[in-house]
Amino acid sequence: MSRFDLREVCVRRDGHLIIDRVTATIAPGRCTALVGPSGAGKTTLLRLFNRLDDPSTGTVLLDGAPLETLDVLALRRRVGLVGQRPVLVTASVREELRVGAPQLTDGEALGLLKRVGLPEEFHERPTEGLSGGEGQRVCLARTLAVGPEVLLLDEPTSALDPEAAAAVEDTLCGLMGGGLTAILVSHSAAQVQRMADDALVLRKGQLVENGPVAEVRYVNGGG
Amino acid sequence: MSSPAVPEWTGVALSVSLVGLAVLIAWRQRLGLAREIVIAGVRAGIQLFLVGAVLLFLFKHAGLPGGFAWLAVMVVIAGQVAGRRGKGLRHSRYVATAAVAIAAAVTMGVLMAFGVIQTTPRVVVPVGGMVVSGSMAATGVTLSRMMAEARGQRAAIEARLSLGLSAAAAFAPHRRELLRTALIPTLDSTKVVGLISLPGAMTGLILAGVSPEVAIRYQIVVMYMLLAAAVMAALAAAELGQRMLFTPAQQLR
Repeated sequence: MSRFDLREVCVRRDGHLIIDRVTATIAPGRCTALVGPSGAGKTTLLRLFNRLDDPSTGTVLLDGAPLETLDVLALRRRVGLVGQRPVLVTASVREELRVGAPQLTDGEALGLLKRVGLPEEFHERPTEGLSGGEGQRVCLARTLAVGPEVLLLDEPTSALDPEAAAAVEDTLCGLMGGGLTAILVSHSAAQVQRMADDALVLRKGQLVENGPVAEVRYVNGGG
Repeated sequence: MSSPAVPEWTGVALSVSLVGLAVLIAWRQRLGLAREIVIAGVRAGIQLFLVGAVLLFLFKHAGLPGGFAWLAVMVVIAGQVAGRRGKGLRHSRYVATAAVAIAAAVTMGVLMAFGVIQTTPRVVVPVGGMVVSGSMAATGVTLSRMMAEARGQRAAIEARLSLGLSAAAAFAPHRRELLRTALIPTLDSTKVVGLISLPGAMTGLILAGVSPEVAIRYQIVVMYMLLAAAVMAALAAAELGQRMLFTPAQQLR
């Protein structure tokens, strides 16, 4: 069901406490936003869910199993990540969609492009020359190609112009309606209100508020 | 008057006048280099004098084990120097030392096993020195390129890791790129050998009075062995270095 539990999680870097004893639950099938001022540790926390980093102390559990007991490559296929900027690692959209899913058929690839709101002809496009919004959609499709149960979204629209941001956001909302669990890092209260069901508020690495978006003061202008 | 093919000690003493000329020019032109030229000249003289003494001792008294011991010392020194190029990589000096050692052991092993070179200190030490020095250069470039790729391409590497690729698969395109870069100088110098530069071994043999036909035979062996050593050193450094770049949980350090 992909429910995450954080237990007394701390992350220390060069003697600084970036995440300070965070204990929380991320409910399955919902979109949970990580919010807070910049430098609060949102991205650091997000990277723990697919083990790009490990906590210094404490445990992250997925459906009751500590992450370090799971096969890390299988975990990363269950828990996909879309970064802040589109990072395309091959020369063509066709190859890009197959980085994590080499067996992907053309039919499946076209289906993915449709899911992320790109026309079919993009399948034969080079990755060079794609706009930021198009690139971000290709990254999203590339992640979906692997078939994840959870999407980690690290400010997925912050590097895009307002129009592209709105369009990508619509696409993401559509995907979440399909039952994917999502963890969203965002600094925009409006975006959190539109996209997320729950919110965790971090400040200086500590969890200071936690609950349904409608009840979290930080998101609703109560700082 | 006919000079000997190899200079006498008096000749060596007279060649000091060339250093004197360089110092004079540097001083007259106010290059601020006179002092450094003197130090470099004295240092080179002392180093070569000492090495000559060590080699003399090795050839006369220490035999083959002594020759191999000297080779081992060279490998350790080369590992320290090349390891410094991989600044930021965990255990970079061990990685570099191991890479140089593997390349030297395989190359020298093949040459000796097939009887291409004589298994005597007189041959093993200088030929081994060339192999170690070539391996050191390739290892140094490999490690420095590796760190540059790991730092500059972090986002791309982590994007691949996030798609469930193993560390080796996620780094593979970067590894290809850095190995190409590391081996280009060796390949280029192999291509133009004899056309642009007369390489050291050949020059030395010709100066010592050996016929060019014999000298090129030696040089061909040297070129091939340096090529093999560089490729092996770069591969070993990339393979071992990559293991230090990632954690067992396939995280980029």
